[in-house]
Amino acid sequence: MRRKVKEMGRKGSARRASTAEIQRFSLGRRIEHFLLMISVNVLAFTGLPQKYFYTGWGQRIIQLLGGIEQTRFIHRTFALVLVGVSVYHLGTLLWQVLRGVSGSPPMALTMKDFRDMVDDFRYLLGFTKERPRYDRFDYQQKLDYWFVVWGTTIFIITGFIMWFPEWISRYLPGIVIPAARVAHGGEALLAVYAVILWHFYAAHFRPQVFPFDPAMWTGKITLKRLREEHPLEYERIIKTLGTPRDAEAQTAVCSEENEGPPGPV
Amino acid sequence: MRGRVQRITWWVILLAAGCGLFAVRSLAQEACLQCHETEGLSITLPSGESIPVTVKGKDLAASVHRDLSCTTCHPGQEKYPHPPLAAKTAREFRVASARICQSCHSDAASDYSQSVHGRGLKLGLADVPTCQSCHTAHTVKPAKDPAFRNNIPLVCGNCHGDPQLASKYGMKEVYQTYATEFHGVTTFFYRVTKPQEVSPAAVCYDCHGIHDVKAVDAPDSPVNKQNLLSTCRKCHPQAGALFASAWLEHERPALGKATLVYLVSLFYTILIPSVVVFLGVHTVLDLWRWLMDRLEERRR
Repeated sequence: MRRKVKEMGRKGSARRASTAEIQRFSLGRRIEHFLLMISVNVLAFTGLPQKYFYTGWGQRIIQLLGGIEQTRFIHRTFALVLVGVSVYHLGTLLWQVLRGVSGSPPMALTMKDFRDMVDDFRYLLGFTKERPRYDRFDYQQKLDYWFVVWGTTIFIITGFIMWFPEWISRYLPGIVIPAARVAHGGEALLAVYAVILWHFYAAHFRPQVFPFDPAMWTGKITLKRLREEHPLEYERIIKTLGTPRDAEAQTAVCSEENEGPPGPV
Repeated sequence: MRGRVQRITWWVILLAAGCGLFAVRSLAQEACLQCHETEGLSITLPSGESIPVTVKGKDLAASVHRDLSCTTCHPGQEKYPHPPLAAKTAREFRVASARICQSCHSDAASDYSQSVHGRGLKLGLADVPTCQSCHTAHTVKPAKDPAFRNNIPLVCGNCHGDPQLASKYGMKEVYQTYATEFHGVTTFFYRVTKPQEVSPAAVCYDCHGIHDVKAVDAPDSPVNKQNLLSTCRKCHPQAGALFASAWLEHERPALGKATLVYLVSLFYTILIPSVVVFLGVHTVLDLWRWLMDRLEERRR
């Protein structure tokens, strides 16, 4: 990485500023995201044919997987992966609280996010020339995160009700079982729409990142993109590290273990 | 030594006689099929109703009754031209057929006569199912056959999913609600993807009974409110005391009937389009803005 920066240096500082990278996601977060990605895809692939059982494609997928029992087994196995990821994620948050990390959590929704959203729509509609200035996560990323939290919560609760209907009916009225089935299916459709219209757009189809945003894969983001997309975070980093040139030099040697830039994490 | 030869001789004679009998029976089937395999063959009853009498030898060979001769079930029809039928109407014809089944299947017949179907037949209701309504006449499958069990919802649904019959007899259209609930979907997938395996999920007769099916409000019906939980526990032995209310009694969720399910469904009916519109509008605007910025840059 250090050598890379040097090479860039020869080509001139403008070029250099555009390609210097900074650590954004730790290895742990990237593994979390990878497991989430795998489990969500398998769960959708094995779940949607059950919801749309009356379609030809649904029947062909079930046939391909060896029958409905086999499909349910795969679905439940990857559901456990998703549960594991969720537990790990909650664990890391709890650990940060126990360690006494101060400041508001970076994903917390605030009034600023609401104002940013209004300002973003005003910008998109051409009422203003100024894009809202985002911090570490913009409101779209936060919504994306909260979609996952909301969806996973619903999926896990209703999924377990359907998995253990005999047990749950010792404590709760049986009506929660068919209600869980309706909620699980409705949430699945909502999740598919949210993933395609929101997450795929933000991380894949948006012209700025097409075909995909490498940040969740490499863990790094270029300083240029950080300045454009997360100016408040960029400025705070510059303030901590000195001039932009110093920042580049320091972030270039940023180690894998460091959870990104100093911020209100 | 002589005794042994004698014994072997007797065995050979018996075997030959058996083969001969079998051959005669097969030949007899062949003889009937020579006419009855003709497509579109039917007889018209005095009531004007017509009954198809075409039989496919292939179907017969796949049936559980493949070793019976035709005259076992159709006595007195050996000669041609056949004697005229005693039945004047299709209903009389079906009752007469059921009597013939009864001569071997007396236990099923006595269960049936106590059932809501059998009592309907005695009352003279024309639409009541008799043996062949569910089992067919010439393609009878063993009841344990996956093809028979996995197909049961369709068999019952023939009448119990028919809106005309439902309104005529004041019945619910139960097939539609079964076909979309958990057991129905599982059985459906077995029928279409694993026809060689028996669906482990409950089909109609697992809850309602087989030949002795009762009206749902009868005190001895396995599905009335008092008996429902113990019927569930036949397959779900660990089911908690509140388990039976998971069953929506073939009702479509509405306010007052499975209200919670209805409200959850309503919630998603509103939430999904709202979210999709919001996300979609944002995505389209974002692309639009990017395009406009690009064009502006180019103009400069």
